[in-house]
Amino acid sequence: MTELFFTVFSAAFFVTIIRTSTPLLLSTMGGLVADLSGALNVALEGMMLTGALTAVLVSVYAPWYVAVLAGMSAGAMLGLIMAFFAFRMRADIILVGFAINILAAGGTVFALSLATGGDKGTSINLPSKAVPAVDLSFLSGIPVVGPFLTSILSGHSVLSWFAAFVVFAVWYFLYRTPWGLWLRGVGEYPAAPEAAGIPVNLVRTLSLAVSGALAGIGGAQLAMFNYVGFTRDMTAGRGFIALGAVLLGARHPVGALCAALLFGAFEALAVVMPGIFDDAPAELIRAIPFVVTILALILFSIRAQRALALRGAK
Amino acid sequence: MSNVPTIDRASRWKAIRTEVGRAVGALAIALAVAFVVVLLTSKSPFEALNVLLTQIPARPRTIGLWLDDVAKLTITGLAFSLVFQARQFSMGVQGQVYVGGLAATWVALSPLGTTWAAIPLGMAAAMLAGAIWGFIPGIAKAKLGANEIVSSLMLNYIAIELCNYLVRAVLPKPQAGVLTTNDFPDTAVIPQLIKFDGLNITRLDYGFVFAIVAVIVVWFALYRTSWGLKLRLVGHNPRFAEYSGIKSTFIMVSAMTAAGALGGLLGSMFVQGQGYGKLTVLFEGNLAFEGILVAIVARSRPLAVPVVALFYGYLRQGAQLMNIRTDVPAEVIGVVTAIIILLVSSSFSINFIKRLFRRHAAPAATATVPAGSAAK
Repeated sequence: MTELFFTVFSAAFFVTIIRTSTPLLLSTMGGLVADLSGALNVALEGMMLTGALTAVLVSVYAPWYVAVLAGMSAGAMLGLIMAFFAFRMRADIILVGFAINILAAGGTVFALSLATGGDKGTSINLPSKAVPAVDLSFLSGIPVVGPFLTSILSGHSVLSWFAAFVVFAVWYFLYRTPWGLWLRGVGEYPAAPEAAGIPVNLVRTLSLAVSGALAGIGGAQLAMFNYVGFTRDMTAGRGFIALGAVLLGARHPVGALCAALLFGAFEALAVVMPGIFDDAPAELIRAIPFVVTILALILFSIRAQRALALRGAK
Repeated sequence: MSNVPTIDRASRWKAIRTEVGRAVGALAIALAVAFVVVLLTSKSPFEALNVLLTQIPARPRTIGLWLDDVAKLTITGLAFSLVFQARQFSMGVQGQVYVGGLAATWVALSPLGTTWAAIPLGMAAAMLAGAIWGFIPGIAKAKLGANEIVSSLMLNYIAIELCNYLVRAVLPKPQAGVLTTNDFPDTAVIPQLIKFDGLNITRLDYGFVFAIVAVIVVWFALYRTSWGLKLRLVGHNPRFAEYSGIKSTFIMVSAMTAAGALGGLLGSMFVQGQGYGKLTVLFEGNLAFEGILVAIVARSRPLAVPVVALFYGYLRQGAQLMNIRTDVPAEVIGVVTAIIILLVSSSFSINFIKRLFRRHAAPAATATVPAGSAAK
């Protein structure tokens, strides 16, 4: 037990948390943008998966940043398809989302088997690249805190820094620009922006595209940094956990950041625990993030209801 | 709408014709897209298509596999129909199948497994476990407002990992290292439906009968009981239902619990069926989730569910054969599934292209028409 304690409070564990949180954080931000515009994006899972495969396949032939951009575009494309069917064809957006998930689950395995010549499990035979880590070891030169800063700040993926920037950018966009106000207005009460001449469906379409793009980058981080290479169903529910993180974060960028870090921390715990407890069942450890998501969702809902009741009482 | 019954009946037939036309059109488009994909990627595209569409009736064995899938797709389609009719998006059938399978296994491998009670008790235990698994997201939504999509999906993953763990480490198994339990005693395995020497429909068992019974029970519950009326009312217009004194939270929770019991039943049909007769990891092969497609195409109508399951089961089994006999992976069927869901759940109809280019974007207020009422 003490061993677990020391592991959790080590710098290496912090780095693991950042690594596991980054894909979650990116798709949580994507989910947040879509959710605030009133278009619940349940296809985050499929978008991440597609982004991951696209990034891996492109990285075989192109530099890593082209691959990440390709993963991003693939996600955005799925967002646009979703918007087309949900708004133009007036299908229920949740059903459309699940159709996208089914498309991604089947389509990625199909494409993988084509690309690898029959392997339906992994892309291990493809020479795919990784996203580089940012080396900040020059920070060691700073007296006293230098080595500590290096150990916690150095070695993160470029995309982790990008994700941190995205949190700020989304917050700035939502609360400091007129378009952010449009987006929130469209999500809050569509009839009013409609009357004011704001193109409601265009706003929602664009937010779904952005949502898909962010989830696609999340997938790229998963398949080009956390693991190098694509494996079948490798997102393993992260898109749905991200959806939970949006709700848990009270639909605010900073809250979503905290929720994504929380889930990332439990995933990191699930990563390090098998090394510490030899006899701990790996399956049950893998289930920890899901259990935490449900419990967090329920606890948060209790709090939200209490807040609502208090507001009603005033 | 109308108080003249004849007009009502005529409009119903018209609605059925529209729906069937929509489904057939969607199927045709989806198959055409899949064929183009196969054409571009396969060395022998026509053979692949031939295997997909014509090879099932060739052998009794594949017919048995097909009908067995139809029974299972019917049950999961019914479970999804129940929650969709109440307009809940509980996606937990998969998890319910796993806990149901675990409960049935527990009965089958206990001393009770060797008695006549093994099958009924196994099914009852499975339904109970599934109902509990369906009740959790229901109560969390009704009492606390926790999003049922997220919680039911999380419960799916938890159930899968639980099943993996129990099979690997706890339940008795024939030899170390295999990921299956011991075979159930014969008394705990649902008997074959047709035992005929020349006709080797091995997989088809009495689960098929259970599926038919389930269709009738769900239809009766939805359309001939006050619970069903309330459920459909809550699904149609929750505020109106609340104003007319219906406890919509109770209806919501009971719909999800009943759907959970169906999911659990499916679990016992899997592990106690002729296909397995034991518990293995990942035994349902993603079939449970495909109930979404069945429910959507059937417009959540219990009587239409088996018809859709018949067609979809055919495609699904055809894809498996195609996977084995040609160079086209079975996963291509995912593309077909997705396109069918997209087209059927949208306001697509035969002449949709014409309308698409004539009419401009619909106003936002009508943009989120519920799936069930999208028919024009």
